[in-house]
Amino acid sequence: MANDVSAAKDHSYDAIVIGTGITGGWAAKELTERGLKTLVLDRGRDVKHGDYPTATKDIWEFPYGGRATDEDLKRQAVAARSGYAITQASKHWFVDDTEHPYTEIQRFDWIRGYHVGGRSIMWGRQSYRWSQMDFEANAKDGVAVDWPVRYAEIAPWYDHVENFIGVSGRAENLPQLPDGKFLPPMDLNCVETHLQQTMTDKFKRKLTIGRVAHLTAPLAHSPQRGTCQYRNLCIRGCPYGAYFSSNSSTLPAAEATGNMTLRPNSIVSELIYDDKTQRATGVRVIDAETNEQLEFNAKVIFVCASTFASAHIMLNSVSKRFPNGFGNDSGELGCNIMDHHLDVGAGALVEGYTDQYYTGRRPNGFYIPRYRNLAGEKRSYIRGFGYQGGAGRLGWTRLMLDKSLGAELKEKAATPGPWYIRMGGFGEILPNHANRVTLDRTRKDKWGLPLLAFDAQLRDNELKMRKDMANDAAEMLAAAGFRDVKTYDRETGIGLGIHEMGTARMGKDPKTSVLNKWNQVHACPNVYVTDGSFMVSSACQNPSLTYMAFTVRAVDHAVGELKRGNV
Amino acid sequence: MSDHDLMNRREVIQRVAMLMGGAISAPAVLAVLNGCSPKPGAGWQPLFLSKEEGAMVEAVAELIMPRTDTPGAREVGVPAFIDVILKDAYPSDEQARFISGLKDFDAEAQRVHGKPFLELPQAQRVSYLQRVHDEAAAAEKVEADKDVPAGERKRPFVLMMKELTLLGFFTSQAGATQVLQYVAVPGGFQACIPIAEAGNGKQWATEASLRF
Repeated sequence: MANDVSAAKDHSYDAIVIGTGITGGWAAKELTERGLKTLVLDRGRDVKHGDYPTATKDIWEFPYGGRATDEDLKRQAVAARSGYAITQASKHWFVDDTEHPYTEIQRFDWIRGYHVGGRSIMWGRQSYRWSQMDFEANAKDGVAVDWPVRYAEIAPWYDHVENFIGVSGRAENLPQLPDGKFLPPMDLNCVETHLQQTMTDKFKRKLTIGRVAHLTAPLAHSPQRGTCQYRNLCIRGCPYGAYFSSNSSTLPAAEATGNMTLRPNSIVSELIYDDKTQRATGVRVIDAETNEQLEFNAKVIFVCASTFASAHIMLNSVSKRFPNGFGNDSGELGCNIMDHHLDVGAGALVEGYTDQYYTGRRPNGFYIPRYRNLAGEKRSYIRGFGYQGGAGRLGWTRLMLDKSLGAELKEKAATPGPWYIRMGGFGEILPNHANRVTLDRTRKDKWGLPLLAFDAQLRDNELKMRKDMANDAAEMLAAAGFRDVKTYDRETGIGLGIHEMGTARMGKDPKTSVLNKWNQVHACPNVYVTDGSFMVSSACQNPSLTYMAFTVRAVDHAVGELKRGNV
Repeated sequence: MSDHDLMNRREVIQRVAMLMGGAISAPAVLAVLNGCSPKPGAGWQPLFLSKEEGAMVEAVAELIMPRTDTPGAREVGVPAFIDVILKDAYPSDEQARFISGLKDFDAEAQRVHGKPFLELPQAQRVSYLQRVHDEAAAAEKVEADKDVPAGERKRPFVLMMKELTLLGFFTSQAGATQVLQYVAVPGGFQACIPIAEAGNGKQWATEASLRF
């Protein structure tokens, strides 16, 4: 770690970045590469690349067959709602919910990882661009406020990000899902190809391999990262650095500049505002281990703590100028929570292909880009959804209710089962002022900070869309000739998509938005918020790539403004 | 092998993997990792179950997953696995259901066959277990068809035993590598190939940390 002693002494830097996840890592890299002495703060423990304690463990090295204990499920009850996060292999990446409580006015699944790298270690790695249609949607539908940018302005930043992180995928030339700079695609298996053919022939819909931030070929600029080994143990952290994380990619790049000071265990309690200069002068920090209170100063601050953590910091940053939270002249701070609604789709058994199998565990599935409400179609809801899915042969867990016991059971278990295919929807959630998070000042965490209180729900448009999400999936699987097609539509909480966004939206008008088109706080130009907070609508694509592109663009703007003396 | 040795070895693997990027070969990693397998003890002392309950669990597990030309449940340590997972991963109401179900299972054997389960000849144990199993499986099938999640199905003793025997056995080294096939670091992906060319053609071992 580069430590500028003189800067550290008086706690003054050129820039401060709050958070080290997907966007904080990018802000750190871009600021330091442009020569700014940058303090990078994370509220959790340090994690160096390779410091992934379960990454190379074999199946039999975990107690309880890898399952969570009763104690784990009590301490990590929220993350356990995901259904996959709390296992012996991955639980250490998710917070202890008893130590980090929040208030649920309505059920809200806030799934967090407090450590350097944040959720860039456990993310799903699916990487899709927004399209012109997505940036125009609010204006066209008269929903919320218009995006202050269009696709052409963001496209070069998508290029920049994809070139650096490495995204494997196939170009499809679809207007609703722009192609990117792709590494070689992973392969679909024979059952997935079968469905793809059916969709082309009978529905004129596209099925493509998922676009994932995995290296399927080496990256010349990042020799420390290796190519994907097809272990599909990504959630443990990748010792090869084969998928993009802050730890494997952006933080090492920032560190290499010599301009980064990384300070883990640093909880930012508030931004400090100076009435005279009408700028933020720095941040207040509580050391998570010693409870010491510290202040750090900088010319420019990047808030990348993750959507709700950033909302917490800003709502808690109360001053004479900002009595309702930092930059909250519009009253929109904390409002317009969005995510993607999921846990709805269909699955089916596949007859045939029993002489076909695979080697390796592909950490990816297929993607069906949005096809609803395009080209003039008008469903009973607006916007749309995409699907992620995959096919594989069922394993021994299928035998739970099989009649066989003893040697016959053992023999059956050793034989690959029938093929099974499943697809689940990711639906757009509309921004709604009433879906919001506020501070619950009646409750405090162990550092004395007020808790967040969530009050959000799926509404009419999403609920109508879910019917199509289940029925369309079943229709396509049936049309492919698969059998025992079964839909599912499980009760789900907002947050479970872990695509949280929207609580400090950008917009043209400071009266109705918190940030301007450069991710700058309208009322305080040296504070940029570039995690999911800025989003004005959610589209239905996985959002991390878009957060990254806006972050890099914002840094470029900030450095220009610093040079021009505007911030 | 001590934990300390294990840690060092793991660190070495991780460093090597990082240094070499993706270039490290799967067999090389496997060779190092295979030295670290836990050794299931032959004799085991139950921590949660009583000695008698432990004996019952051991007998039933071995009937569900017996030794054939490959190891069975007893040999790979499934009885101790079940004892510990019940102790640490099951809430008290499920623990109680397991124990009372075990007693009922034994009492029913006594009622039908005139002897406690463990005193029955092998053939009667098998037929009795199969009957109790089939009834329970048929009952649960109704719930499964209604999409009741596996974790909420309130399984009777015989099906809890089946679930935990399957889980313990196929997440053991012998189960994963001798009955199924396992490759820690595949190094590549072939999406669809003739089954005979997919390793030895057997089911691939993978994690199974979710309820089934």
